Amino acid sequence: MTSHIQTIIDPPEDGHFRNGVATDGLIPSPTTLSLNLAINGRDHALDVEPRVTLLDALRERLHLTGTKKGCDQGQCGACTVHVDGERVLACLTLAALVDGRTITTIEGLADEDGTLHAVQAAFLEQDAFQCGYCTPGQIMSAVACIREGHAGSDDEIREYMAGNLCRCGAYPNIVAAVRQAAQELR
Amino acid sequence: MTVHDVKHAASDSARLEAVGGRLSRVDGPAKITGAARYAVEQQLEGLAHAVLVDSTIAAGKVVSIETQAAKAARGVIAVLTPDTIMKLSVASDWFGNPLAPQRTFCPLARDVTYCGQHIAVVIAETFEQAVSAAALVMADYDQAPALVELGDGTAGEIISIEGMTKEWGNAQAALAEAPVHLSAVYNTQRSAHAAIEPHGLIARWEGDRLTIWEPSQWLDGMARTYAEWFGIPFENVRLVSPYIGGGFGSKALALAHSAVAAAAAKMLGRPVKLMLTRSQNFTSYGGRATTRQTIDLGADKAGRIQSIIHRGVSEVSLEGMWVEAVGSITSIMYDTPNFSSRQDVVRLNTVLPNPKRAPGENPSAFGIECAIDELAHELGLDPLEIRLINYAEQDPHAKKAWSTRQLREAFAVGAEAFGWAKRSPAPRSMRAGHQLIGWGVAAGAYPVQRAHGEAVVKIMFDGSVEVESSSIDMGQGTYTILAQTAAETLGVPVSQVSVKLGDSHFARAGVTGGSRLAGIMTGAVHKAASQALDELIGLALSDPRLPFHGLQANTLAVKDGRIGSPRGDGPELSIAELMSMLGRDRIEAKGDTLPAGTTAEERYKNYTTIAMSIPHTEGDYSRHSWCAHFVEVKVDEDFGTVRVSRVVSALDSGRLYNPKLAESQWKGGIIMGIGEALLEEGIVDRRHGRTVNSNFADYMLPTNADIPDIQTISVGIPDPHSSALGGKGVGELGIVGVAPAIANAVFHATGKRVRDLPITLEKLI
Repeated sequence: MTSHIQTIIDPPEDGHFRNGVATDGLIPSPTTLSLNLAINGRDHALDVEPRVTLLDALRERLHLTGTKKGCDQGQCGACTVHVDGERVLACLTLAALVDGRTITTIEGLADEDGTLHAVQAAFLEQDAFQCGYCTPGQIMSAVACIREGHAGSDDEIREYMAGNLCRCGAYPNIVAAVRQAAQELR
Repeated sequence: MTVHDVKHAASDSARLEAVGGRLSRVDGPAKITGAARYAVEQQLEGLAHAVLVDSTIAAGKVVSIETQAAKAARGVIAVLTPDTIMKLSVASDWFGNPLAPQRTFCPLARDVTYCGQHIAVVIAETFEQAVSAAALVMADYDQAPALVELGDGTAGEIISIEGMTKEWGNAQAALAEAPVHLSAVYNTQRSAHAAIEPHGLIARWEGDRLTIWEPSQWLDGMARTYAEWFGIPFENVRLVSPYIGGGFGSKALALAHSAVAAAAAKMLGRPVKLMLTRSQNFTSYGGRATTRQTIDLGADKAGRIQSIIHRGVSEVSLEGMWVEAVGSITSIMYDTPNFSSRQDVVRLNTVLPNPKRAPGENPSAFGIECAIDELAHELGLDPLEIRLINYAEQDPHAKKAWSTRQLREAFAVGAEAFGWAKRSPAPRSMRAGHQLIGWGVAAGAYPVQRAHGEAVVKIMFDGSVEVESSSIDMGQGTYTILAQTAAETLGVPVSQVSVKLGDSHFARAGVTGGSRLAGIMTGAVHKAASQALDELIGLALSDPRLPFHGLQANTLAVKDGRIGSPRGDGPELSIAELMSMLGRDRIEAKGDTLPAGTTAEERYKNYTTIAMSIPHTEGDYSRHSWCAHFVEVKVDEDFGTVRVSRVVSALDSGRLYNPKLAESQWKGGIIMGIGEALLEEGIVDRRHGRTVNSNFADYMLPTNADIPDIQTISVGIPDPHSSALGGKGVGELGIVGVAPAIANAVFHATGKRVRDLPITLEKLI
């Protein structure tokens, strides 16, 4: 744990910390890593520090802002994306750890011609969102929830969608949308 | 450039598209594909990233701040402290009253009045560098004693809010004479707005012109604050907020962190982005204040209320003022000949609380709607029956007729749908295995808040229509209902209408709060669209080159985007053809709901302050939305865990402009109410005044797994006294009465009366 913290603190250029912050054993943070992220069927070459999260890489470097930052600590689900088809929290995933893996974000869910994914269409029809900020994460979670086989009943949907917070309170409509999409995708 | 511009698929039928139709959100496609770009997601050249450093004490002085290490860290551009950040002017309050024009405002605090107050800011080239360097900033304090909890409301500086006193009859004497008495204290907790989109902004200066991208419920009000802080003309500030990721009352004002980012951008000469961390979203601005209220109720043996004496207190910060008015609807729910209500606030070392969904009305309902349930139990009456026995046929306080009050209908329709008649009256008399089942009811109300707005409607050369307004959509459906209003008024399909919101350079609008926006803005858009249509028809009739020349006025109408005789028996043109023949590239009209003769100064005041809000009891009527919630809870007999298993709510919001979206807002309010009843509580460490649970793992929002099926039923009728098109408020209403309905259901299930929110398991075992 200690070494983990050390790697994310930039040493001052003279090499000495003040204010009693220990410098012994400090590991200078590496400069940059060259990554290749395969996002939504496109390769993105990216030079980032090792501490950059997938979420900040998407939003700040690649300008893919559909993936949302709600808490930055793995508690709200707004940053949910797919890595190799499985739902993960982009805020708790270092960009460096998904180098070379297949990433899908909300921007890559619809067909090339703009045809909506069944889950997207169901969210619109069931009014499964209001402000829309948690929505990309909800939709990415819902796609995975159905694929995992966890959309068999309303109670199961509620349980397996419980990691995505919605403060507007669209939950009943989200359940309806996931149920509808699951039936269509069956 | 940043505004929303999504057109709706043309396939929706006219029935869906009309005002009152269940049209899906027109901004929906952008939100479900990730294309909707929220304020802080704008990409700007040269953007620097700011991270705040906050006080770790609740009271005292910042003696020194050590910034050397942070300044020396890689990528750091500047570290600003109270000594080095630029000083601003003190902005006026939201009524427009100047506060302290002779003083300056330092957006970073030297004198600390609450834990989490911003004391320094680090600006770096990247977000990661700023986060890292901010951890190197060290502060020394001269700590002072702090009062951090409301307790029973008797410690600290107590201020009486005289303007909230309501008295009629002789409440004390009537209480003494009443054969049945009830006296109880009801407590509600500190709770957070917790919008999933964090607060934050991007600030960019170009000379003395400031552009702010910031989620905002009130572009014009916040633009005024920025203009006053920096001493620049109002017109020089542009606030952009195309989508808002939830507000619930928290995003109506420019706050200290907003000032820090704008000041840093000016000092550094480059755009600065600052987003509060999730933890800072619990500490940098206040949520709903903690409240205490005492209710003494006197009744006769038939259950008729003779007297209500109500005393309330809420917490507030050392600086600023916000009153969580716990007596706000105590006076209107039931008919009583004698009444007394007073409100105090107590100053604490806390951040200034804010209005949160149904501020005042929500805790107010918890008091009176639990108290009447207690009275019903004492007298052996059905909780529904006692509400009808005491039904207020007019506003008992204002002594005016209700504009509309479909509360009796709400009780009847809700009870029928819920199956209330099957309720077994005695507590602990319904169960399923080891689950105790309880059924509870409570009512709610929210006043109709009104002000004025303006909108621009443009009929373009190609027959398309543009609507512009500086009002906003944070999920209530503004884009959609304004598109429906313009389409219906002009006789064009919604697919031809684009609505542009969220830019303070558009036609002005006041605050989006108090459920006032829909009523105001549908009125303004209707007026502007009517003016544009009149001009279009006038031109069509008067131009000698056109086939309509010489026809009588009132012989032309627009339907499905084509102009002609309403009987369909004469010449007909599309709007695009007509515009082409007229040689016009656009017809533009600005409509507002202000009275004729309103001065420019009054207009500015109307849009940038709340001083010109119209009282809900103005004229001959008292205007409110009403609701009745029926709730079933299941309480585990061994563990005391409470689950809401069923909700049926009947609500009177007048005419609904779009029932699909209104139902979603109602459900959202009900769910937030479930959170406040059972889960949510801001907890403060008594030693340091720190918010202990400033994250989503420890501060529990309702999750999908906590929420059952919710049935909402509209019982409203058009209310011509409340708005131009007959609607009353929607968004605030749904939460009011939810917590008492749950508390009453918990009592019915367990026989235990919990008067202290949230109802957590330790209070039941």
